[in-house]
Amino acid sequence: MPHTNRMNVGYLLTAVAFLVVAISIPAFGSEYTVQLATDILSFVALGYSWNLISGFAGYISFGQVSFFGLGAYTTAVLVNHFDVPWYVAVCCGGIVTAIVAAIFGPIMLRLRGILFALGMLGLARILTVVFSDWDYAGGAAGTTLPPELNPSAVYIGMALTALCAFAVNAYFARSGFGLDAMSVREDEDAAGALGVPTTRVKVITFILSAVFPGLVGGLIAWNRSYLDPASAFDPTLDLQTIVFTLFGGIGTVWGPLIGTSVLMLIGEQLLIHFSSLKLALYGAVVIATVLMFPGGLVSLLNRFGLLKRKLILAPPELPLGDAPVATDAGLDSSDSLLEVRDLSVRFGGLLALDNVSFRLRRGETLSIIGANGAGKTTLFNAITGFVQPTSGEILFRGSTVSALPVIDRVHLGMARTFQIPRLLSELSVWENVVLAARHGRQKHQPVQHAAWVLRTVGLDEMWLEPVARLTPGRQRELELARVLALQPDLVFLDEVMAGMTKEEQERVRGIIRRMSDFGVVGIVCVEHVIAAIADLSDRMLVLDFGRKIADSKPTEVLNDPVVIKAYLGEVQ
Amino acid sequence: MLAVQLLINGILLGGTYVLIAQSLNLIFGVMRVVNLAHGSFIVMAGLFTFWLSARTGLSPLIVLPIVFVVSFVVGALLQPVLIEPLMNQGRRAELLSLMVTFGLDYVLVQIALHVWGADYVSLPYLQSTWTFGAITLSKALVVVGLFAVGIVALLYFGLNYTSFGKALLAASQSPVGAACCGINVRRVRLFAFALGIALASSAGTLLIMILPMAAESADNLTILAFVIVALGGLGEYAGVTIAAFLLGLAQSLAGYFLGGDAANVLPFVILIAVMLLWPQGLRRAA
Amino acid sequence: MTNTHLLHRLAWASGVAMLLSFMATPGQAADKPILIGATSSETGPFAADAEYNLNGMKLGIEEANAKGGWLGRKLELKIYDDESKPGTAVRLYTRLITEDKADLLIGPYSSGITQAIAPLMNKQQYAVVEPEASIPTIYVPGNKWNFQGVASSLTYLEGLLPLANKNGAKTVAVLGLKSAFTLACYDARIKQAEQLGMKVVYKTTYSLPEPDFASMALAIKNAQPDVVLGCTYYPDAVGLVKAFQAQGFAPKYFAETVGPVAAAFTKALGPLANGIISNTGWWHNFKTPGSKEFTEHYKAMFKQDPDYHSAAGYGAVKVLGAAVEGTKSLDQDKIRVWLHANTVDTVQGPFKVDANGLSQGFSQSLVQIQDGHLKLVTPEDLAEAKLLVPYPGK
Repeated sequence: MPHTNRMNVGYLLTAVAFLVVAISIPAFGSEYTVQLATDILSFVALGYSWNLISGFAGYISFGQVSFFGLGAYTTAVLVNHFDVPWYVAVCCGGIVTAIVAAIFGPIMLRLRGILFALGMLGLARILTVVFSDWDYAGGAAGTTLPPELNPSAVYIGMALTALCAFAVNAYFARSGFGLDAMSVREDEDAAGALGVPTTRVKVITFILSAVFPGLVGGLIAWNRSYLDPASAFDPTLDLQTIVFTLFGGIGTVWGPLIGTSVLMLIGEQLLIHFSSLKLALYGAVVIATVLMFPGGLVSLLNRFGLLKRKLILAPPELPLGDAPVATDAGLDSSDSLLEVRDLSVRFGGLLALDNVSFRLRRGETLSIIGANGAGKTTLFNAITGFVQPTSGEILFRGSTVSALPVIDRVHLGMARTFQIPRLLSELSVWENVVLAARHGRQKHQPVQHAAWVLRTVGLDEMWLEPVARLTPGRQRELELARVLALQPDLVFLDEVMAGMTKEEQERVRGIIRRMSDFGVVGIVCVEHVIAAIADLSDRMLVLDFGRKIADSKPTEVLNDPVVIKAYLGEVQ
Repeated sequence: MLAVQLLINGILLGGTYVLIAQSLNLIFGVMRVVNLAHGSFIVMAGLFTFWLSARTGLSPLIVLPIVFVVSFVVGALLQPVLIEPLMNQGRRAELLSLMVTFGLDYVLVQIALHVWGADYVSLPYLQSTWTFGAITLSKALVVVGLFAVGIVALLYFGLNYTSFGKALLAASQSPVGAACCGINVRRVRLFAFALGIALASSAGTLLIMILPMAAESADNLTILAFVIVALGGLGEYAGVTIAAFLLGLAQSLAGYFLGGDAANVLPFVILIAVMLLWPQGLRRAA
Repeated sequence: MTNTHLLHRLAWASGVAMLLSFMATPGQAADKPILIGATSSETGPFAADAEYNLNGMKLGIEEANAKGGWLGRKLELKIYDDESKPGTAVRLYTRLITEDKADLLIGPYSSGITQAIAPLMNKQQYAVVEPEASIPTIYVPGNKWNFQGVASSLTYLEGLLPLANKNGAKTVAVLGLKSAFTLACYDARIKQAEQLGMKVVYKTTYSLPEPDFASMALAIKNAQPDVVLGCTYYPDAVGLVKAFQAQGFAPKYFAETVGPVAAAFTKALGPLANGIISNTGWWHNFKTPGSKEFTEHYKAMFKQDPDYHSAAGYGAVKVLGAAVEGTKSLDQDKIRVWLHANTVDTVQGPFKVDANGLSQGFSQSLVQIQDGHLKLVTPEDLAEAKLLVPYPGK
């Protein structure tokens, strides 16, 4: 990468310029300038924290103001009732919000999409009522704090908070943890299937995105010397933060800073000169942004090669990579790898799986066939933990896994693909594979392992490509590569050859044949294209209306009249 | 008697929620467009009705069809510009529609402020009661509830028993599949959005009789609508109607026994609780 | 309306118009104008009432300029929109002080926003008349620079309970919106009822947006109070009246603090508004000096009837002017000392404060809506109508 050096110099110069501006504001600016800068920085910090949970982890929140208010109230109570110095109180506010987020995170983050957004908004509404009834903290009439005498001190506190929030965003944009968070955004279930501890990732992100509003709230409370529930938990604070961040570029490192600075400086001029048009202009800006450049100002700059996102954990050149060390030694082919006993799944009135039992030995490839709606995918979902079986038992390497969550089964060595590839479509080929490598058996050296997998599968040429640019066939290969990067013992392939050309099918068949190179010792696949899978299978299992109707060698199964009847209907 | 009156109050309150929620259900639940400007359409229609009624002396029930037609046209003009371009964005469409309508909300509020000012207004219409012993029924509330339920019933039959309604449901479930069957998916989406806006606006015309509204009081209606749709289940017609009435009932009881603030936060408490226990909404829980 | 009245108004309108066109030409004053700064809620939830207040200020400035300004200098009013947000107001007052170098400041609209900017005034040492901050909690020991330019919220509806009590009312229900100003009123009225020996049979506080006033109304119906006293803002004032009617309950006395005085209130409720009692710090028939002229000029200039917000804004300018002329200076400390020591007659009544800046001179008079129009019912000497009891509720 020849540009790297020049880019680093660019970043350094930008950083120095910011630092100079930041220091010169309290040194040379009027008190108004300091106040304006403090307010802008408060929104920068709020924008960066919203960006963590909503931009990186994809959980749009309308209620981060809950943490702003909690931080503000913590500061007010500590200063007023315990005579704590304000800067200590502000830090305590950050700690309190972190604790609250740690408690509420696991609950709230079970909600998804607009429901999470509304749930957070509800949290803010509930807190407004709680604090308006709590006379110790000032009640509905609010509370005053001792007057703040040095605006520059608050400004510095705010600048440091914004800087820390920025740093955490920068870390997210470059680190494996940030990649985990983005995988939650792109497809949470698929991320779980790759061993990403999604709940932990979400909760940690949520806590980080709560700390900074807590600090900002405390600083603002001290800055204003007055606090009441209506302004502490004001939902429009979130709305403004969201507008600024969207305008700058959601999920980017520079978006919140650029969006907030530009809009607030413009907004302040509008407020002063055209206040009556301000709302409409804000609205128009948001609409235009979404319709014309949904990635915000940053995406616009990207077109000119500026502020481009760096691929996470990507080395300058794709390394040769090392073949993994075998982990599964000492078992011979007589050992049972997977055993399914009397498995039934019922959806309401529909019995999707009816007492299915089978066994897979080490080294075997089992294919499962059946008409549409025969229960093939349900069987997969039940074995890999995506669906809770109604009854029955699943044993992996002799011990029961029936009650384990998806992620634990992945860590034990079971991995799956999805019928429709569920790739992290906003990210690159490299990031998709390295994400899996980070959570598989080679997690101590994910970069080397991911590189080896990409080379072995044959995707090394296009490792920097965005997923969206791959052909459907290549996407299927990438999905296989991603599963293999986990280095599992047992792989479940869900119709990996559906809708492919002969050529593409041949490439996939090649990968399936070489699976033992990746340490795989058992394959279960669901397939419609029977011809493409028959010669790869040791055994074939046929499902019909949720029941197993055959289970033996492919040649025998395909000549079984019962099977033929199930597939082709009654033959006269 | 108190119990009966509380029950009636709850049902009447629920009646005011039905149309607010079902119009959003069409846009959000069925078409998967997150319309954050929902409340603003309701309030604009309310303010328009007030303005027209005050000028001409027309009954709001006569203004209703005018509002319906005008807002349908407005919805039909907005959809191709703001919503349709997002529809090919796959899973991001929901987030993008949220953002676009978020901006639209600001614009609508500003327009309302400019045209009608920031005042809270309400129409004095049908302000009398029917009394049955100790039970009192507000005529305005009953009429609003009946109209709302009537419109929602028409919507139900329209969706389930006309070919266009079936096309709409099909397009929402599988756009590609519907297109393959020869359905003009773009036109269906346009119609659904315009209809949703027209229904929301109708709600505004009815609600201005019982609820003071101002240009900037729209957000709460938006939130309420989303909460009810979430509780009832996205796109679930019966579920949303039941959720609207149950919420009205619950708020009425909470307001009486626990005070106004309890009724205020109740939708959120219920939302969080229900979503944790039954992530698919109330109907799936039953 | 008599013909002379109309002529009078026309004459004034043309006079003010001429005055305005005169003002538009560049002034000949040698000195640059005195810059008076304030924020107003031009957008946001307070926009409707704040406009009346701002108009009052504008009129005060116009009139002062017509008489040659203060200290021989013209006045210039600089207004920023605080968006009804305390944070924005703090920043913009800082701007008025440090960037625009305003000579004088006037307070913003609403108690909440004033509460937020009051510490700034104490810190920057600007003597500020607060025309719209009725809550008493701003004017406490430690406050040196904020002066209450409006009746304290403790006085809202103060006159009602003694009157009702005298007429035989025994029981009261008190409702309070959870905001600084309405809660101060709520507490004060409950205390007053107890002192009068009246029984508070129901009391509750609520927040906006309140989804369902019906439950509150039903609970009050069960308690059957003689007096219902709502410490309200506008939307809840309307919502409560509608809810009472829907539950079929009409108390003998039905009073609300903010709301009934607004023109939109009667439009929203029609005949239901008749009999609702409220209060005002100013009325057009007040015998206070300048009240009549204020009403006429205001109508001519803004084509609307002034209300007590307008009177408060207008009064704040007058008080400030008196202080400037009284001290012959723009020195903030001198103005502060002067404001503490002197009484200024305004259209609202005498401006007079205690050591903490709390108003001592202003009071509230009761008004009642009768036949769709507000009528002053107390004090007796000014009353336009007798208090109508009971509230008909239909």
